[in-house]
This record gives sequence, structure tokens and C-alpha cells, in this order.
Amino acid sequence: MTNTMLDFVIVSIALLAIGIYGISVKRNAIRMLFAVEMIVNAANLNLVAFGRFLPNSQGQTFALFSIAIAAAEVAVGLALIIVAYRMYKNVDIAEFRSLKG
Amino acid sequence: MIEITSTPIILIAILGTVGMILPVMSVVRKEKGSNSFYAAIAFGALIASIGYVAYEVVSGQLPPAAVFSADVLANDSFSGLFAIAMLIVAIITTAGSFNFMRGQAHPPVYYSLILLSTIGMVLVAYSTDLVMLFVAWELMSIPTYVLAGFMKKNPSSNEAALKYFLFGALSSAIIIYGISIVYGLTGSTNIGEVMTGLANLDPSMMPLALLAVGMFIAGFGFKMGLVPFHMWLPDTYEGAPPTITALLAAGTKKAGFAAALRVIIMGTIALQLDWTFALGVIAVMTMTVGNIAAIMQKNISRMLAYSSIGHAGYILIGLAVAPFTSLGIQGSLFHVLNHSVMKGAAFIAIAGIVTTIGITNIDKLKGLGRKMPITSLGLVISLLALAGVPPTAGFWSKLLLFGSALETGLPAWAGWLAIAGVLNSALSLAYYGWIIRKMYFEGETEKKIKEPKAIIGVMIFSIIFLVGIGVYPDPIIEFTKNAVPILDNALIISK
Repeated sequence: MTNTMLDFVIVSIALLAIGIYGISVKRNAIRMLFAVEMIVNAANLNLVAFGRFLPNSQGQTFALFSIAIAAAEVAVGLALIIVAYRMYKNVDIAEFRSLKG
Repeated sequence: MIEITSTPIILIAILGTVGMILPVMSVVRKEKGSNSFYAAIAFGALIASIGYVAYEVVSGQLPPAAVFSADVLANDSFSGLFAIAMLIVAIITTAGSFNFMRGQAHPPVYYSLILLSTIGMVLVAYSTDLVMLFVAWELMSIPTYVLAGFMKKNPSSNEAALKYFLFGALSSAIIIYGISIVYGLTGSTNIGEVMTGLANLDPSMMPLALLAVGMFIAGFGFKMGLVPFHMWLPDTYEGAPPTITALLAAGTKKAGFAAALRVIIMGTIALQLDWTFALGVIAVMTMTVGNIAAIMQKNISRMLAYSSIGHAGYILIGLAVAPFTSLGIQGSLFHVLNHSVMKGAAFIAIAGIVTTIGITNIDKLKGLGRKMPITSLGLVISLLALAGVPPTAGFWSKLLLFGSALETGLPAWAGWLAIAGVLNSALSLAYYGWIIRKMYFEGETEKKIKEPKAIIGVMIFSIIFLVGIGVYPDPIIEFTKNAVPILDNALIISK
């Protein structure tokens, strides 16, 4: 193995940065959802990489849990986005303005 | 290993079984619109659970609160207190839905999701392992995203749900990133081992540990409604069905505090207090922004949403002074219990007003005190308790919180927290008083409206709870004293 732990951490931080950029700049609900998924996957990469270099496997187990939970979350999120699309014919959250004050 | 007969497992068994069976029953019965039937089943399951926890508390079987445990779940007074608070909220929500959900689509799914979310909230308080905490956190959150958007035909409900979902998903992503850093630093996910690991950390790794605690504050802070992370909260509380808002404001928010007490406080102690000043600043900002924004609102749900942000600030005072005095956490726990009942009752009263009159604009509440006497009385008592007026429970918990900040005097800024808290309470009385004035002193005498029976029940319970504890707070104060986690004495900084 030539990869060091630092390589994984750098990729993970890059993914985190892309995710945070996506959620703060984009206003399309699906893009925002995918930006959040990138942060989750950055964390999963961290967990698996640390688990590889640490003497226990808790991190890798946790990554499995986290992937399953993220899938459930995306299912609910896409359902909400579809309902919104049927109502507004649009998934741009800046257009949803019935609530303000 | 966890024993199969321990409290959390039994709660999962009762609530989970009923929660999963409800939708199946609706398919088998092929009968539409029998809302009260499903509500009664869910209500029974919740009463059985709270009875079980309350029996353990009253009979003194619960050990005093321990912070750490080698297990995944710890059954102690700390989690017992939170379990009782969350189950009360779930019961209030279910009872309020008896009338609110009549004639709405899919009642079995609605009650099933409430029960599943309740399991999540309760387990957050019981968990002492970061993996368990995260799974419970998601079990609590995912059903509430659906519930917030349950009125499918209503655009504002959908908008509320979508905003809530995006911020909620972001907060869980941030929490799991924080957990991954902590796991990398300490090689364990057990909270106790993590804190020992953090306390003995190599100084060169300290920035990463601070980053992880910061991520925990941000992640849990989204659900708690702390100020830089509060922008979704007023929209969601206004748009979601009022019964679900009661569940969100009184339940999931308190679960955030349960997690914060288990994780953040121990983190700040392990990290030599670098974050306590930040918590103090966030507390003052949160209460000020919440209360000032609440004054300007025209919609009662939105006003109570901002007031709920303000109350997150009060509870955070206790967390900020926690490393210096045990009174801080005691005050926080007491206020958590009170706030669950008062916010829950206030939103259920709004649900009652919405089902009968259908308005939430404060200007149109004129003469409500004569139209709906019992609902109005319940709303007034909860508002007075929220403001902290003496013969109610809210007074004692605020006294304990602000008193704890004054008593330590060790960080020089602690006294300012108490001053900010008292000023904010005075400010909040202005807008609570405005609602009360509209309801009782304006508008012509009008005919009485028939009030929904289940909502009358909730109101009577909350009036008894709030005034009863306000008059005789000793047993609850004693209980919260036992529920304060025992910290390692070496870590508490004495005067």
C-alpha cells in the first residue's frame, strides 16, 4: 500500500469543500440535496480511511450504517421535491415564497 | 451487552411494534377516515411507555446520572428525565391530533410516523455511543420531514417541509463529519472513551478537536435553533401543521439538547473550556435575536417560533456555565422539561384555534377569551409560563438558570448571561402580553364556540402541570438534581 492516511483526508476535505460550496451557492433543490450527499460521503470516506489505519473496525461499520441512513434520507427528500415540483412546476427553492416575515 | 429487559429496549418494543402495525391495520381494515381509532391506539402505546418510565423513576430504580457507559445505551436519571419530557410531548401531540386530523388523509401513517419519531427522540437521550446517537438522531429526524409536509395539497406545508429537510440533512451531514474526525483522533466511538482520548490529545492535534466540537455545535445547533443556524425554523414552524409544530418545537428541539449535553459539554470540559465562551456568545445572540424578531410578527405560530429560538438561548446559558457549576445543567434540564409542556400546549391551543376558527393572525384573535374560554386559558397559562411569571413552572426554571450564571461568577462574563436573560424575559413579556390583551380585552362579546374535547383535555393537563409545579416545585427540582451527569471532579474547575 502506497497510499498514506493524508491522501484520503485531502480527498475528503475537498469533497467537504465542494459540498459546502454547493449548498451555499446553488438554489436548485436537487443540487442542494446532492451537495449534502457529498458531505456525507466525505465523512464516510474519512471513517473508512481511519478504520483502515486504526486497530478496530468501528469506523467501517459506522460507514455502512451511515450509507443506509443517507439512502433513506434521500428517498424522503426526493419525495418532498417531487410534491413541490407538482405544485410549482419548478424545483428552485428561491421561488418558494409563501412563507416569510 | 444491553439487557433485553432494559427500559430503552422495552420502549422500542412497545412503540416500534405499534408504530409498524398501524399502517398494516389500515390496509387490512380497508376503512377510511376512522382517525380516532388509530389515535386511540397510538395514545395507548404512549401512555404505556410513559407509565413504565415514570414507574422506574418514582420507585427509585434508576441510578443517578452517569455520563459515560461502556454500553451503547445507558439507563440513568438523565435519560429518564428526557424520556419523560419527550413522551409527554408525543402524548400531547397525539391527543391534539384527535380533532386536528379528523377528515384528513392517511391518519394511520401519521400516527405511525409520530411513534417512530418518538422512539428516535427517546433513544437520543439514552445513547452513550456516537454511532447509536447518530442512528437515533436520524430515526427522529426522517419521520418529522414527512410529517412537516403531511398536508400534501397545502403549498406552505410543502415549502416548510422542503426547507426543514434541506437544513436537517445538512445538519446530519455535519454531525457525521464531526464524528468521523473524533473517531480518527481517538480511535473509538464510545462517548466516554472519546472524551478521555480528547483530554489526553497531542497538542498539535488540538485544532482538529476544536473543529470537531465546532461541527457538533453547528450540527446539533440546527435542530436546537441556535442563532446563526436558525433561518429554517420560523418558516417550518409556521408552515407545518400546528400539531407537528408542537412535536418539532417541544420534542426534536429537546432531543438536540439531550445530544448536546452528552456530547458538547463533555467535549468542552475535555478540551479545557475553549468553547464555553463561544457557547455564552451564542446564548446571548440566540435569545436576543429570537425575542426581538418575535415582537414584529403578525402570525401567532411564527411569533411562538421566534420565542422558541429565544428559549433555546436561555437553555444554552446552563450549558455555557456547566463546567463551573452543576446548577447550570440542573437549570437546563428543568427548563427543558417545562418548555416541552408549555410550547407543546401553546401549539396545541393554536391547532385548536385553527380547526375551529381557522385563523392564526394575531389581530383576528380579538375576543377569543370569550369564544373559546378553556383553550384561551390554556394558551394564556403557557404564555405566562414562557415569560416566567411567578406562579408558573417557567419562573422556577428561569430562576435556576439565571441564578446558576450569577452564582459561579468564575468566568468574568457569566454575570452578563444572567443580565441578558432577565432583560430578554422582560422583553418577551411585551409580545406575550399583546396576545393576551387581544384575546381578553378587545372585541365584542360573541357567542361561545364548541371547543374540541381532546384539546380541552390537553389544556387542562398543561394548566395543572404548569401551575402545580409553579406552586410546589420541590420534587421536580430534586429529580433534576439527580439527573445532572456526574462529571469527573478533576475536570470541574472549582472556585
